[in-house]
Amino acid sequence: MPLGDFTPLSARPALAGRAEGAATASRRRRQTAGLSAERLSPFVLIAPAVLVIVLFRLWPLLLGVNFSFTGDGERNGAAVGLDNYAELFADPLFLGALRNVGWLVLLLPVAVAIPGTLATFIYLRVPGHRFYRSVYFFPAVLSPVIVGSIFNLLLSFDGPVNTLLEVVGLGPVDWLGDSDVAIFTVLGVHIWATFGMALVVFLSGFATLDPALLDAARSDGATLPQVIRHVIIPGLSRTIQFVFVTTMIGMLTSMFGLIYVMTSGGPGGSTYLPEYYIWIQQGQMNRPAFASAASTVLFLVMLVVGLAQVSFLRRTGKED
Amino acid sequence: MKQRALWSVAVAATLALAGCGSATGNAPSSEAASGKLVVWDWKSSDKTATAYVEKAKADFAKKHPGVAVEFVAQPFDQYYTLLGAAIQAGKGPDVMMFNGGGQLRDRVDALVPLDQYVSSDKQRLTGWDAFTKDGKAFASPVTLQGHPIYFNKDLYKKAGLDPQRPATTWSGFTADCAAIAKATKATCFALGNKEGAGIQFFLSAFGSGILSPREYDDWIAGRRDWSSAHVKQIFQLWKDVEDRGLNSKGGNSTTMFTDAFGIFQSGKATNIIGLMSDIGHWKDFNEFLGPDNVGVMKSPVVNEGTTPSLPFDGGIGYGVAKWTKDPALAADLVRSLTSTEALTAFYTNAGAVVSDTTVKAAEPAVTALVADLKNGKPALHVALSSKTIELMGRLSQQILDGSVTVDAALKQLGESDRS
Repeated sequence: MPLGDFTPLSARPALAGRAEGAATASRRRRQTAGLSAERLSPFVLIAPAVLVIVLFRLWPLLLGVNFSFTGDGERNGAAVGLDNYAELFADPLFLGALRNVGWLVLLLPVAVAIPGTLATFIYLRVPGHRFYRSVYFFPAVLSPVIVGSIFNLLLSFDGPVNTLLEVVGLGPVDWLGDSDVAIFTVLGVHIWATFGMALVVFLSGFATLDPALLDAARSDGATLPQVIRHVIIPGLSRTIQFVFVTTMIGMLTSMFGLIYVMTSGGPGGSTYLPEYYIWIQQGQMNRPAFASAASTVLFLVMLVVGLAQVSFLRRTGKED
Repeated sequence: MKQRALWSVAVAATLALAGCGSATGNAPSSEAASGKLVVWDWKSSDKTATAYVEKAKADFAKKHPGVAVEFVAQPFDQYYTLLGAAIQAGKGPDVMMFNGGGQLRDRVDALVPLDQYVSSDKQRLTGWDAFTKDGKAFASPVTLQGHPIYFNKDLYKKAGLDPQRPATTWSGFTADCAAIAKATKATCFALGNKEGAGIQFFLSAFGSGILSPREYDDWIAGRRDWSSAHVKQIFQLWKDVEDRGLNSKGGNSTTMFTDAFGIFQSGKATNIIGLMSDIGHWKDFNEFLGPDNVGVMKSPVVNEGTTPSLPFDGGIGYGVAKWTKDPALAADLVRSLTSTEALTAFYTNAGAVVSDTTVKAAEPAVTALVADLKNGKPALHVALSSKTIELMGRLSQQILDGSVTVDAALKQLGESDRS
């Protein structure tokens, strides 16, 4: 019911009859009831979704946070205040896991540049581009366990990669057993396994790029690097930002499988990430409350990343 | 944004102040009362354990015909995670399988002491120490787990050495390794330390050849001096073995199961510190090397005056959950799971050295192992807590790659062990 139909009482004739008054009152009641129903209906409609979110998302989350302020073992169930958090931030292993999160963020541009570059070549129709598109995407459908196992075989100390290195005169590298190298090996494999999805996003971004701009650039004699720098990158700015954010979240939340299979967090804890740390504390050390504290810290890290993402996208929207 | 941040802080502060109440449920939950017992383990799905489980079930059915028994086999790598969740919830199986040592001792709060139910099994079974805390037994041992040094007799023959008389001193042992490496290119040890388990095996296998008997007994009794010269010597030897090229390459990235055992089985390494329960043991090696080529020895003497012994404890065992409705009934099931008939089937099919001293062994390697049991001592690493073991695994990797010194590692281990 459009609100414009509503007539203010003050506009009515002063000498209106009783019957007319009653009819007006009745209409008013109907109108008010209709108005309330109209106001309530959105809440009723979203209520099931809100209930599901509160019951199955927020409430367990709050329980987890609450649990992180209790003790484990002999102090099971007792309130321990911030003890778990104090221990957490005194644990070099957890600090190492957070440092590795820093490495993920630093290597993010590489993880975005690889699919971006390859998507550009596919878009510019290098020979065999259809074949490349399939091959690049293929690892995205593999489970991290399979990917990890494949690379475990390839990168083992006496595996084919090291054999090849020895043939060309370079010494073998302990890809997964050297604490200075292992985290980059796992990250490299993660990027290999996941860039196919980012590549698809880039290709869909290319679909929105105006080909006339490319033709114009070519007519003006622009070289390939100039086309990429002055036409493709500005034209795909929103896609690039989107891939940045989704790749970062993927790195923070979905590397557990690879770490578990490839390095078990080692050597010497050098490939620990917060997720793996939480799993060890809960499953192996039997310290669920302590693990909840680590989960809460990971959640806060994710919250910061999420809020940064929202602000990033909002600013991008304003630019448009 | 500011408002959201303030809300987050407010919620966290409220929870911090209110922080109480664990996830542990109080209400017991068990199906025992309804005539059913649930067992969690990671063995019953193995073909080699089928006969064992059937015998145990049959034994229990004779005593309690109205009670059904359900085995739920969990994947081993997830077992303690799932068990942890069950313990926190206060709901789960009536009977649970455990590894002896830290994995059991860390969880005794969730278990019923079994002494009053299994007193008549105390003499027949051995390996109770690994399932005991504060003088109470919380599980009955099914297998014995030990860390003998297996060697490849064929490689000894190829190097012109007598495989019937392996060296009994450390210098003789490494000299034999050098001779074999020269003749066959096989390394001295197959090492798999990716999970950090290699150091546990090394510590326990060579400890009795380094520590004096008194130091050994003190260690097991909990009087561990991590700054002592002999303890340092064990960890220094761990490093020296790597530095001298006696280990197979890439130990930190080699999984023990099954890669390190694969190196040994394929003849690329002369020795491996193996197990004696139902995996990574004589029966596995027999299949690849042949029963006549699998030798077994105790630690060589590293320090004069030591008496090397076979390190062994209870391997796996079954305990009864605190929340079970009828602990006596569940304990009876544990007794069936450790009956002579069931354990004989486990030895025959899986090759496990079982806890029952009345089960007779036949194969050459296992006969030698069983003969050493009477003078054997508990393994050194089993006396440590899960927390210290986990730390030791990580530090052992850092010692090998040179990022931590032996002294620094021992300092951290001492602090962890005391906390």
